[in-house]
Amino acid sequence: MHAIEVTDLEKRFGEILALDHVSFSVETGEVFGYLGPNGAGKTTTIRILTGITTPTGGSASIFGRDIVRDTIRARKQMGIVYETSNIYDDITAWQNMMFAGELYHVGKQDREERGKELLEIFGLWDRRASRVKGFSKGMKRRLTLAMGLINDPRLLFLDEPTSGLDVQSNLIIRDVLQTLTEKGVTVFLTTHNIEEANLACDRVAIINRGRIAAIDSPERLKKTIQSVQSVEVAFEQGSAKILDDMENLPMVSEVRKVGDKVRLYTEDPGALLREIMLYADSHQNRVVSATTLGPTLEDVFIRLTGIERRNREGGFP
Amino acid sequence: MNAEFDKDQLTAEAVAAWAIAKKDMIIYYLKPNIIVSGLLFPLFMFLAFAAGKNVPLGYLIPGLISVTLLFSSSTIEPVSIPIERRTKTFERLLSAPVSLHAIVIGESLSGFLYSIGIALVPLIVGIIAFKTTIVFPLALIVGMLLTAIVFSTMGTLFAAYPTESPGDIMSMLNLVRLPLIFVSGTFIPLDAMPPLGAWIAYLSPLTYGNDLIQAAYGHTAFFFPLFDVVMLVVFFSIFQFVAHRLYAKYND
Repeated sequence: MHAIEVTDLEKRFGEILALDHVSFSVETGEVFGYLGPNGAGKTTTIRILTGITTPTGGSASIFGRDIVRDTIRARKQMGIVYETSNIYDDITAWQNMMFAGELYHVGKQDREERGKELLEIFGLWDRRASRVKGFSKGMKRRLTLAMGLINDPRLLFLDEPTSGLDVQSNLIIRDVLQTLTEKGVTVFLTTHNIEEANLACDRVAIINRGRIAAIDSPERLKKTIQSVQSVEVAFEQGSAKILDDMENLPMVSEVRKVGDKVRLYTEDPGALLREIMLYADSHQNRVVSATTLGPTLEDVFIRLTGIERRNREGGFP
Repeated sequence: MNAEFDKDQLTAEAVAAWAIAKKDMIIYYLKPNIIVSGLLFPLFMFLAFAAGKNVPLGYLIPGLISVTLLFSSSTIEPVSIPIERRTKTFERLLSAPVSLHAIVIGESLSGFLYSIGIALVPLIVGIIAFKTTIVFPLALIVGMLLTAIVFSTMGTLFAAYPTESPGDIMSMLNLVRLPLIFVSGTFIPLDAMPPLGAWIAYLSPLTYGNDLIQAAYGHTAFFFPLFDVVMLVVFFSIFQFVAHRLYAKYND
């Protein structure tokens, strides 16, 4: 049985078609990434899959239960962690946990045991009696995730779980996600952090303008755009003129400044490397490092969504 | 949403509704705007009416109880729900495995309990300070309970309006609540009203709640008490139904 099955899903808001016959399925135990630019339909999809919004067409089911007709039973299988840390600031961490348990009909003993266990895992047990108002952003995020796990869900919806967090919170959340996936929990992850999706997801779907542009494993998606390879090169003497010069090299389709390096997109990295060395010799500059790179998931994302890179941003000092 | 009302689910709904009510009690009961709107406003209304009337203050106690119930019961949700929309905690309720009915009832329950607690103040002050006598205690209990649940549900209904600002809802709500004081026989008896006012009174749920409470104090009742009860149940059902529909509509 699929953890999530979405068939021909459509959502209209008046004249606006937010989801245009979207279909995909997520296998049990899979970590499924759902990527897309702002306004692509990610939030609408999650709101439908969690039973908050009703689709105007198509269907979606959670472990075989239709989310429209059998909403409550479908929801019992899931934990939901929204992008915003939606916790109650005026009550304590413990009260938040217990409230989440009561909403999900977790028995008193279970919710107290599980609440303690989760607060310990997320490093919040010592602060259980503190009002959440005084918590840092990372602590609030950890508490939100702990609340999402109070009912021991088989499916976890995670919306931007690590966005803008401190290192400690990031590490704890990633560790917990790793443990969950090892236990066979299905994770539906939306994130702007494409590298995070690349590392964590078994498969990713890229949605753009309400349509699924591609679904596959990150590695297979990268293979579909082998033409987008690049050479990342650092010169001893950086200057804004280098960016112009690199752009004029043959075979270069795009130039992008990456920190103190320049990334040059090309279909033939080997030939381009030779051109770069010739350029360095003729300009009495030295190549400090040069690395050839395959396409990244971000490249796939950009290619499929048609987003333009802000290349040459900043320039050299 | 189609809830499956088997026995376990009914228990889950009740537990969740009670959890929502408890959460509201802890977080909102002592918020300044709740105290001003729920407690002080009815008191000042009472004093304003009492100052212009040539009747013993104790005679106005039933009206004060009715107005206190109206304001205190319909105040919590119009404050709490917009705030929770802003902090996205309301989304947590909407995505929980409970029906919208349980959410509406849970939200209304906190207003209901708050108003019963607050309304005990004029009730006790009346007994102690003005030696008021309760002739029909059952009528008082039923009248207070039904009036409180009707108006707390009305508060939840108004809070369905999709705004993140409590002020927006309070403004709309006061457009309804303030006229109700004048057309429901709380401080001005129904038989002393002009014909148009008396007709409007029929449309006000406060008329029936106040009528029961007045009857409990031995004052002349305008309607048969059972009719008051039926009308309050009808208003509660309408408010509950409309609130459910509005939450379903606005959260889609």
